[in-house]
Amino acid sequence: MIKKDLSVDFLGVHFENPFLLSSSPVGNCYEMCAKAFDEGWAGVAFKTIGPKHFKVDEVSPRFDELTKEGTPFVGFKNMEQIAEHPLEQNLHDLKKLKENYPTKIIIASIMGTNEQDWEELAQLVTEAKADMIEMNLSCPQMTSHDMGSDVGTNPELVKKYCAAVRRGSDLPILAKMTPNITDMVPAAKASMDGGADGIATINTVKSIANLDIDRKTALPTVDGKGSVSGFSGKAVKPIALRFIQQLREAAGMEQLPISGIGGIETWQDAAEFLLLGATTLQVTTSVMQYGYRIVEDMKNGLMHYMEEQGIDHLSEIIGAANKSIVPVDSLNRDYKVYPKIDWDKCIGCGRCYISCFDGAHQAIQWNEEARRPTVDIDKCVGCHLCNLVCPVGAISTGEVVMKPGREGNPEDIKIESPRLTHF
Amino acid sequence: MTKKYETEAPGYTMTTVMEEAARCLLCHDAPCSKACPADTDPARFIRSVRFNNVKGAAETIRENNALGAICARVCPTEKYCELACSRTGIDCPIDIGGIQRYVTDFEQAAKMDILKQGKSNGKHIAIVGSGPAGLQVATTMLTKGYAVDIYEKNEKAGGYLTYGIPEYRLPNDIVEYEIKRIINLGANIHYNTTVGDDIMMDDLKANNDAVVVAVGASESKVLPMFADNENVETAVGFLARVKEAKGNITDLPENAVVIGGGDVAMDVATTLRRLDVKNVTDMAYEEFDEFKASKKELKGTREAGVTIVDGYVPTAVNGNEVTFKHRHIDSEMTIKSNKIILAVGQRVNAANLNITIDKHEEVPYAGYGTADPKVFVTGDIAQGDKTVVWAVRKGKEVAEQIDKMIMGSTKEADLVGGNE
Repeated sequence: MIKKDLSVDFLGVHFENPFLLSSSPVGNCYEMCAKAFDEGWAGVAFKTIGPKHFKVDEVSPRFDELTKEGTPFVGFKNMEQIAEHPLEQNLHDLKKLKENYPTKIIIASIMGTNEQDWEELAQLVTEAKADMIEMNLSCPQMTSHDMGSDVGTNPELVKKYCAAVRRGSDLPILAKMTPNITDMVPAAKASMDGGADGIATINTVKSIANLDIDRKTALPTVDGKGSVSGFSGKAVKPIALRFIQQLREAAGMEQLPISGIGGIETWQDAAEFLLLGATTLQVTTSVMQYGYRIVEDMKNGLMHYMEEQGIDHLSEIIGAANKSIVPVDSLNRDYKVYPKIDWDKCIGCGRCYISCFDGAHQAIQWNEEARRPTVDIDKCVGCHLCNLVCPVGAISTGEVVMKPGREGNPEDIKIESPRLTHF
Repeated sequence: MTKKYETEAPGYTMTTVMEEAARCLLCHDAPCSKACPADTDPARFIRSVRFNNVKGAAETIRENNALGAICARVCPTEKYCELACSRTGIDCPIDIGGIQRYVTDFEQAAKMDILKQGKSNGKHIAIVGSGPAGLQVATTMLTKGYAVDIYEKNEKAGGYLTYGIPEYRLPNDIVEYEIKRIINLGANIHYNTTVGDDIMMDDLKANNDAVVVAVGASESKVLPMFADNENVETAVGFLARVKEAKGNITDLPENAVVIGGGDVAMDVATTLRRLDVKNVTDMAYEEFDEFKASKKELKGTREAGVTIVDGYVPTAVNGNEVTFKHRHIDSEMTIKSNKIILAVGQRVNAANLNITIDKHEEVPYAGYGTADPKVFVTGDIAQGDKTVVWAVRKGKEVAEQIDKMIMGSTKEADLVGGNE
């Protein structure tokens, strides 16, 4: 079994690997976190601890899933709020976890309704020996408007509450941002101005995943009614990645410490977040679906990736993709690349023909006798929709041509398949 | 002409293996992983495939099984992991063998070297026979730091893997690759060397800390009525001949009768059809509800166009005419054919090895030890099942037993030292 050092240093804290449970139902009590640590997770953002005066009162049922064809959990909708256990119990669990697992990292997620709450909670979790604080400024389904994502979209409140937490604790502080916002940068900057040391993102995306079309309301139905609430899982990964990239693109935030969250379930997902600048990685949805054991393949797969990349420390790749992701107006628009069809691989299904005709530029001709497609280069714009729909990988990138009147040598252009899967 | 004989059925692609892995329910306390005689952990490696970690899947398979790519192809999974699969509660079991084949093919394509030779402990092991059991013993011992010499009577290693199982089911390239992996790990194979003839057991005992006899049942049994009949060939002889020639043999009959109902009989009959022998009839002692061959083998044989007649025993032979009688009903048939191939079981040749073999073609006692504390048996001659997956299990078990015997006292001493 391959052995590589997966450890990372984040906000002055040493993590044995980047994988953490995110603040959610998966890290809700001592026993859960202990099992997760035993199975290889480096730490936990314990389920958000609120002030004593806020009473958590949950609905039943509280989850929904988005499916596509036969695939469950493409996305996951939940309506849970913050930890339902009493404050004393949560603090006791944090302390016991740190005592029994001194090398694991305990991040106390907290949420208050006002500056006093935030400051007091920061003090309490610091006394409970947490290693780090994460401020939950982003839960989209709190029953109080003084809490959650309503706060996180308001930079003034964010700054004020971060300053309150800073007054209450000397621990490193992460501000957990909501994606329910057009531009995350102002809120992130406000949190840093207020005293946060890094950003955790994304929290869940406000959503309605499915309707019960007979009862005519959103799922899950609670006594005949539904609600908008947070969406997570694989389907939100693209949203998370874009926010993280845009944070690291912002002036002065190129080295922003980030704990990445959003649809991570494989080592490739993990690598993607690292390449965009996340140093630690937080996971919930795939744990809810599959269990803590998923960390085994994330760790092992990441070690093999390190071996392939020839690196000894993950720090060597953190943020390595930021600079090659540029605004759309900076991309090379001087050329197009035609698809190349491998007739030995082609099985004659005609999906490329249908998609090109109905969804692109009518550039694939279909030989009905032979059941084989050919590319009409006069019509083809090189969009490569055909490549994506081909079920057997028979379509790849072929000849590169410069557009009329454009400068450049086609041979100098780097061409990659738009598709990650190799058949 | 030999294309049908040489061509293995296509395996999964990266896309189709994921489709199959996605059918896996990723059970808690997975029943498949408790059902493998060789302790393979399908639940673990399928989960790795599911989460795009094919290299991790390869590690799981290879660290447990020196012959992972071979077991993937020849294991009767229907009797083990796939029988236990929870997915049968929905439709049909996961194709565990197929996924394992994809993973081990990937391992080969990616040139992964998962097993590492252990730090030398200065101890030496001799293994008699390089069939699956011997190869597994060698692998386990090499990873533990033993020096390993294997004595093989033939010019190639692998035993029945190399000389028996047909190319379409187990390509020789795969067998060679698995053996090369074990040679790279440090195994020293002495080819064309028959122990008891070219080199004596006493010499092996004198020069090694333990000797493992893993000679297998390498010779076909011949029913007395067929002795010295020029129309008769043994299954072992026929399969070896065809495999060595990669199917290019010239003396093919126009029609043939195969006698036997096990996997070997199915291999012979299917091979004949794949070599375009027009009429192939397999006469089996067992009836279909007690059939010995695996369902996969039986299905393949039927698809190849073999006529299988169950429940008949040969009662008389006259030249190329054989008369069979049904075991339970009043029925008799006589078949005249150009060739009669006997696949009625195999026997052990343990001449000059000082090993007692009983009428069941195995040692008359359980376990791997023998009267001589330095000599062990494993593989088909040890009691238990006679499949490749069992050979792997027996190979691992005898290796652990020998290691415990040789290093046990040393390790305890180390432990005491470590505690100080």
